[in-house]
Amino acid sequence: MEHVAQNLNLWWVLLVPLLPAAAFVVLLPMSRRVRNACRFVPIAAMVVALGLSIAAAVQVYPGSHIGEPFWQVAWQLATLGGHAVTISFAVDSLAVLMLVMVCIVGICVQIFSLFYMKDDDRRGWFFCVMALFLAAMLGFVLSGSLLVEFALWEIMGVCSYLLIGFWYRDEAPRKASQKAFLVTRTGDVGFFVALAAIYAACGSFEFEHIFATVANWSPALLMVSSIGLIWAAIGKSAQIPLSAWLPDAMAGPTPGSALIHAATMVVAGVFMLTRMLPVLTLNPLAMQIILVVGIITALYGAILACFQTDLKKVLAFSTISQLGYMVAAIGVGSATAAVFHLTTHAFFKALLFLTAGIIIHATHTQDMRQMGGLARRMPITTVVWTIGAFSLAGVLPLSGFFSKDEIFTVIWHSGQYWAFAGAAAVGVLTSLYVVKTWFTVFFGNSCNVNAHEGTATELVPVSILAALTLVCGFLTIPLARFLGHEGEWPSLTMAATSTAVMLCGAALGYTIYARQRSTERLKQIFNVVVSAADARFYLDWVYDTFFIRPYFWLSEALWKLDAVIIDGAVNGVAWLYRGLTRLINLLDARIIDGAVNGAAWLYRALTRGAQWFDSTVIDGIVNGLGTLSRAIGAALRRVQTGHLQRYQRLIVGAAVVIVAVLVLVLRFL
Amino acid sequence: MLLTIIIALPLLGVLISALLPHRAESGAKWVALLVTGADFVLAAWQLVQRGITGTTGMQLETSLSWIPQLSVHYHIGVDGLSLPLLVLSTLLCFLAVLASWKITVKPRFYFAMLCLLSLGLNGVFTALDLVLFYVFWEVVLVPMYFLISQWGGERRQYASIKFFLYTFFGSVFMLVAIVALYLYTGSFDLTQLRDLIAQTAALKGAGIGSIQWWLFGAFFLGFAVKVPIWPLHTWLPDAHVEAPTAGSVLLAGIMLKMGTYGFLRISVPLLPQGFSGWQLILGILAVISIVYGAVVAFAQKDVKKLVAYSSVSHMGFAMLGIAAGTAEGFNAAMAVNISHGLCTGMLFLLVGMVYERTHTRQIKDLSGIAAQMPVYAGIFCFASFASMGLPLLSGFVGEFLTMVGSWKSPALPGIITVIAGLGILCGGAYMLWLMQRMIFGNPTPAVEGQPDITLREILCVVPLAALVLVIGLSWNTLLQFTDPFAAALVKILGA
Repeated sequence: MEHVAQNLNLWWVLLVPLLPAAAFVVLLPMSRRVRNACRFVPIAAMVVALGLSIAAAVQVYPGSHIGEPFWQVAWQLATLGGHAVTISFAVDSLAVLMLVMVCIVGICVQIFSLFYMKDDDRRGWFFCVMALFLAAMLGFVLSGSLLVEFALWEIMGVCSYLLIGFWYRDEAPRKASQKAFLVTRTGDVGFFVALAAIYAACGSFEFEHIFATVANWSPALLMVSSIGLIWAAIGKSAQIPLSAWLPDAMAGPTPGSALIHAATMVVAGVFMLTRMLPVLTLNPLAMQIILVVGIITALYGAILACFQTDLKKVLAFSTISQLGYMVAAIGVGSATAAVFHLTTHAFFKALLFLTAGIIIHATHTQDMRQMGGLARRMPITTVVWTIGAFSLAGVLPLSGFFSKDEIFTVIWHSGQYWAFAGAAAVGVLTSLYVVKTWFTVFFGNSCNVNAHEGTATELVPVSILAALTLVCGFLTIPLARFLGHEGEWPSLTMAATSTAVMLCGAALGYTIYARQRSTERLKQIFNVVVSAADARFYLDWVYDTFFIRPYFWLSEALWKLDAVIIDGAVNGVAWLYRGLTRLINLLDARIIDGAVNGAAWLYRALTRGAQWFDSTVIDGIVNGLGTLSRAIGAALRRVQTGHLQRYQRLIVGAAVVIVAVLVLVLRFL
Repeated sequence: MLLTIIIALPLLGVLISALLPHRAESGAKWVALLVTGADFVLAAWQLVQRGITGTTGMQLETSLSWIPQLSVHYHIGVDGLSLPLLVLSTLLCFLAVLASWKITVKPRFYFAMLCLLSLGLNGVFTALDLVLFYVFWEVVLVPMYFLISQWGGERRQYASIKFFLYTFFGSVFMLVAIVALYLYTGSFDLTQLRDLIAQTAALKGAGIGSIQWWLFGAFFLGFAVKVPIWPLHTWLPDAHVEAPTAGSVLLAGIMLKMGTYGFLRISVPLLPQGFSGWQLILGILAVISIVYGAVVAFAQKDVKKLVAYSSVSHMGFAMLGIAAGTAEGFNAAMAVNISHGLCTGMLFLLVGMVYERTHTRQIKDLSGIAAQMPVYAGIFCFASFASMGLPLLSGFVGEFLTMVGSWKSPALPGIITVIAGLGILCGGAYMLWLMQRMIFGNPTPAVEGQPDITLREILCVVPLAALVLVIGLSWNTLLQFTDPFAAALVKILGA
């Protein structure tokens, strides 16, 4: 471990992510009962982490520019080809600000979950995953190298997968979790490629090193890496066209949604773009893409939020829309505006989600059409919701007003007036759906007679968030200064414009929803928009038709190809070989062996012949000679009688024969 | 000497378990456990020792004349490339024995074969003489053939013969190349061949069509079947599916690595000029393997087959790293080797445990395991995430370095890296879909009432899981061994 000496020694800031991570590691191997009982452990870890974060903020006050660390630490991760690769963590003003925000939101969500999840027998596991999620986010904001950032980015992906799919026995959470993971991972392919390209270009993953060399990168490399990073952020921050996972992610427990939407996960994309701004600003095309994506997404989310009937879905689409704002702010090069809105949004969106959780518990439904008149039965809930929702709409003096105003201002100053018009339109739509929701849920006919106010464990955290939403706006200047910018209050013109925009939408909402007018005629007029909005602008249809189903088809087809053609070829070769062996076998048996057998047969025939000859002829001769000589012997034996006269006669006879023969021979000679 | 002990120790296991009397046949598993365990301890001890000294080059060398007429030597040694693989091999053999605890059919034969397999594997990763290498290479085939054909599934005869013949087909070409190299240089010695080849005039000349290129091609066929590279992969799903659990673990976990090891040990360093002519072909085949394996895995209905096809995809990353010809790429190939051995070993062990309980491998029959066997489900998810290449786990190291290496490589176009990135996405798709269908949901009748993972079973997977975490968190744990080798290899290619 090597320290890069700075004025401050802030090693203990590393404990901020390490504490919740340790809580996760300790609780993970425990039995379910122990885990359930030890829910306070992650909360305690987060409380200490919050204390450390605030201490860090005090230490680094009055802050400095984004990307100028007060303290950093690097480790050697590996050597590649003899070249050392390091990873590092760095504490800069941006990181400290985010630490405080994440800790506050995290603790509020955790405390809220104590009551909210009390009847679930896997609540300990829920707290475990939340702790890991928070640890990953806290580490993410502290990371000083792109590789660490990517690693923790992926861990957050897994945590969101686990939280969304928490109730894994049901179909919807399972599908939603898988969708969330795969869609964000589609974006991560871009991150992967960008990381590889960046490392290939400058041999390091350290932000400092990347920013120092970026001026020398080739335009192609700059393009590949910035497009890759933008694509990654589009996936993580649910921008068009990868935004369809976020509304489905509502299938998870509500506190989990609050965490994903407010403090972790989706803001990671925005945060990463903020960090990489020195690279992105060198590429005007990339900046333009970011701005376009941001504005379109903001419009997309806001329009769809107006059409939702599910309370949590309204919030989900509003998150998409607000993230679009932040991305647009980055698109015009303003990190401060994006980060400021990110912070205020984190507080009021967490507040809205948790309050929605209280409402859902009280009314046992998420459908707003079955809610109404809750203001009288749940006064505190109504007040905190109002604070959060009005902040979202941008009502002075709530925090959302200030941060949205700053985004309006930077977009206006960029000179891209079409973008400003888009942002303003989003402002109108935002206050429209805020007002719609507000009237539908809290006023009008009282549908939920049994609804009751939330418990203290639920109301305390939301009240803390409400208080922050109230005061945060007044921190515009200090926060900007903390991030190294000369902040200024919104100009009067801009404030007037944005208030006018807000009032426009509010008036529209009031006329329609407070008076409870039928929206049928409106729906008929805007028929095309309504049917498109019902289908969520066909985004899911596009995924399904052009990617998911073709992929299923492709995989089946390739498998068939594998089995029939490739393996078929192998088996075919084997079959041919066996055929060949049979043929050769036949050849062998009939012809070669036939010849051999024929030769053998011939040989046998020959031997038989020889044997016959042997036994009949030769043996015959031999035997014949024997027989002859025996016969002669037998015949001659009779001659030997022992009678002299007979011998005499024989001799005389023989002599006569001999003489006669001699005479005959001589005569003929 | 120590290496010889590591190689020969399993032979003791083979002999003892084969000679056990019929009455004591259940003792065979204890013999095998002891032998493979001792082997692992010795190898791991060497790894730790070497890690401390951190030198490059061959170590623990032994060289004895074996067939002097042909200058064949019993020459063994290890370096940063082979030592991690040797440790992985001994570890997986040990765990394979542990996972086979319930084998009751012909246990003496079974455990003798496992020990013989261990011997062959240890030999392959230590041999420094091409003839010796070839002998060990073929020795490995025999016990695996018996493991599949005697203790395998329904189509075991088909699978075992296919496995044997297919790999044998490849190794014949390798033998031809070995003989050719001998005829050119008069040596089989891996440590000397590089210089001898560089000095041989006939072997000069680079690019497609040169003699080096043809020799590389012959080695390629031998190794590519083993890796396996598309389209030479179809023996693998059959062999994996039909093999008993231990067989699948060793097949995927370590035997596939013999192929990539062959490239890194033999063909790339010995034939650098031939390699340059093959880089693009290798890169394209590798990236096809990556995407193709992942896409086909998605369509599988048998969980073992799914993991088998995922191996094709993962080994494609190792091949892409090799094809890149950069330091990052070579490191990546070795990291994938180790990590895939760990992750896939874990997955096959886990699948085997469920198969033992339910006697089915059909994914549709295995639903809702999380509700019935929560600990098992947690470990399975961990293994799946590791296999997906999630950061902080070992799979990421290899996949990520492959991307970096192939992007940096002058021989490969950038589009290959992008497609490999899509392969990572496809990898997530099949694994997540497997988890959704098999782990989550409501329990099926087959899963209902099954007991959770036992202590022995946990012991089988915990060492692998621990290594997955350690390597993923601290890359240097592994790369300190492989990087000196990778740097040296890059230097050879540059020369």
